[in-house]
Amino acid sequence: MAAPASDPLGRQERRAAWLFLAPFLLLLGTFFVFAAVRSAWYSLTDYDLFAEPAFVGAANYVELLGDELFLLALRNSVLFAVVVTTTQTALALALAVFVDSIARGRALVRTAFYFPSIVSSTVMTLIFIWLFQRRGLVTDAVNGLANHRWELFCFALAAVSIQLVLVARARRRYEGVRALDPWFAALAALGALALTVALRTLQLLPVGEADAAISWLNTRATVAGMPVTLWSVAAVNVFTTIPLMMLLYLAGLQSIPRHLYEAATLDGAGPVQAFARITVPLLAPVTFAVVTLGLIGTLQMFDQVAILGNAAPIESRVTLAYYTYYNTFPPGGTPRIGMASAGAVALALLTVLVVFVERRLGISDRA
Amino acid sequence: MNRTRAARPGPSRAIAPLAAVVSASIAVATPAAADTVSVAGFGGGDTVVLNGLIDEAMAEEIAAAGIEVEYTPIDGDFSQFLLNALSAGTAPDLYYVDIFWSDAVFGTGRADPVRDQSVAGELLPGLAEAFTRDGTLMGIPKDFNSLVLNYNVDVFEDAGVEPPDADDTWSDFEDKLAAVADELGDIAGICLVPDYARFGPFALATGWQPFDADGRTVLDEDFRRAFAFYTGLADSGAGTVAADLGEGWMGGCMSSEKAAVALEGAWMIAHLRDAAPSMVWDATRMPIDPETGHRGNLIFTVAWVVNPESQVRDSAHALAEILTSEPAQQWVLEEGLAIPSRAALDDNPWLDGEDVAQVASRHAFEGTRDEAVTPYYFGEYGGAWMEPINSALNAVLLDELDVEAALEEAQEKLDRLTGHDG
Repeated sequence: MAAPASDPLGRQERRAAWLFLAPFLLLLGTFFVFAAVRSAWYSLTDYDLFAEPAFVGAANYVELLGDELFLLALRNSVLFAVVVTTTQTALALALAVFVDSIARGRALVRTAFYFPSIVSSTVMTLIFIWLFQRRGLVTDAVNGLANHRWELFCFALAAVSIQLVLVARARRRYEGVRALDPWFAALAALGALALTVALRTLQLLPVGEADAAISWLNTRATVAGMPVTLWSVAAVNVFTTIPLMMLLYLAGLQSIPRHLYEAATLDGAGPVQAFARITVPLLAPVTFAVVTLGLIGTLQMFDQVAILGNAAPIESRVTLAYYTYYNTFPPGGTPRIGMASAGAVALALLTVLVVFVERRLGISDRA
Repeated sequence: MNRTRAARPGPSRAIAPLAAVVSASIAVATPAAADTVSVAGFGGGDTVVLNGLIDEAMAEEIAAAGIEVEYTPIDGDFSQFLLNALSAGTAPDLYYVDIFWSDAVFGTGRADPVRDQSVAGELLPGLAEAFTRDGTLMGIPKDFNSLVLNYNVDVFEDAGVEPPDADDTWSDFEDKLAAVADELGDIAGICLVPDYARFGPFALATGWQPFDADGRTVLDEDFRRAFAFYTGLADSGAGTVAADLGEGWMGGCMSSEKAAVALEGAWMIAHLRDAAPSMVWDATRMPIDPETGHRGNLIFTVAWVVNPESQVRDSAHALAEILTSEPAQQWVLEEGLAIPSRAALDDNPWLDGEDVAQVASRHAFEGTRDEAVTPYYFGEYGGAWMEPINSALNAVLLDELDVEAALEEAQEKLDRLTGHDG
């Protein structure tokens, strides 16, 4: 018997659909719905893992608002989410455009860029702990930059000047010479290098003697309101999450019809205009996914903070997820599951609110 | 009609007496089945101690008590494992409880008091007190440790500096370390860590107490003096911040020959045996505060505690007693693995030996009798109590705050924590 017109699925198909959905619904029900409802209930109790939970109403939420550590965690989480999501989205898009523009060896470059994503988060974090030591490679790099800043400035200035001269001369004779012509760029780099080496050899460029030990992780210092510890964690997080975001953007880029760019070129649009008027608007659904994934991931930041910030003062590393953990297992103290659950509920509400704000700001899933 | 089965015995009831006779004969013919007691302890080097006790030293006693041990070493954070397992009802029958987080277990009723309370009288007094709540001994401390001054003999010889000794005051200690660092250049005197567990003995030696009569922590002038001394070791060249040497603890600095000395417990014996087997090292007692003439120290200890919900509680208690008995502790001591908690082993001849393991163990033992000693325990506050102090140490060691500002901030945090901020 045919299904009614209003019901496009037959009974058997409907049953099959439920059967296919059942494992997922079971997992979702057990590990999300049940856990979420239970957490919400615990947030209204004084549960400590052992005694029967007693209902305390909104007392935990009131205490949260008066808890300096929670307010700090809230601020750190929001700043961390904004910094990391903005940076990783911009860099992922730039990388995707770069990889998409490569004619030969795209697969190789794509694999190389994707590599950080397949390394375990913990392993990557341990590598960065080594890099971020007070006298580690990052500190050496910063000291090196400070000591050689005049050479770098000289090289950059010379390279840009030579490139400008070469391009200007060529444009007088030929049409269509690009400002970043690779052959001219190579010549400019060689010329700038030779000039810098000559000036350095003649000791006309000063060299610094910076040898400071810099605390990247174990410090109370803040920059732009966010602890330096979290800036370091943000760098690691951006490095490890960009590749996945880049792949999403790459898939989006490859779905944009090429004839749109051809038509734009015929109409006289340059690469920047084509990027701003075609690429960015048509990638809006991907941007929505990337930003949403980024916000959710960063607001729930825990593992890298717990490992990287292990030696840092609690104020320098606390995020909302860490706050929840810290209340669940306070070092040497009795678990405060009621407070931890209230923190978890606050984190969930914040995540929903941030995604709502994201949509209000015009980042939506529609191109 | 409401007929019950009892009115007419079924076949199973008829067989029951026969089954009872058969099972009784089997019980007579074969030994009673052993109780399986599940045991959980720390991972790492501690597994050597427990495996040795269970499989070698006390194997006969355990078998004679009709006990089979199912031992699970836990790597990672043991307190998290235990609290989770206790709340889920899956905790082992017998487990470690560290004095540091003991309130989280004792305060929630997840400890069956020691069956034979008279054992308290056989333990070193400080240790029995550490695990006593409301006059009841909640667990039998299995061993303990205190800090000793471990030093690399070759480093002092190479530097031509007199090695540390038991009569050294803080200033002697500082001068010797600064001289070593100055002479050798690539080796620090001591690695400094922002941790109350290492700084605490200096504060205690001044006469400062972690809590006053009102339960408030006051970072007074005595504390400030110790704090300035410890953090000042970096300024005088005697010490280097451990993080600058890529290390996280003093022992790691010493075993990797980045520092000449380390303030660590007798666990250094096993660590150096593994990490630096060819190192010639020795140990002496903590330096003396020149003003009070006292030494300070902290007692680190762990007890065996029986799960009150265990199905084999009697056997678990019996096993705890076996594992902390005199023969067990004698074996552990002679293996250089830990310091016994029983007063009877106080004057054990093994401790008089001159092997470095014996020397380090002896000094750790003596450390508990120093003038200013407290357990590594902060009551209901747990590790949260140390955080303001550790944070202040860190800030000063990294030149992010001066001593006064760091202590002022720490005092505010401690007052908030202990409810004395208003």
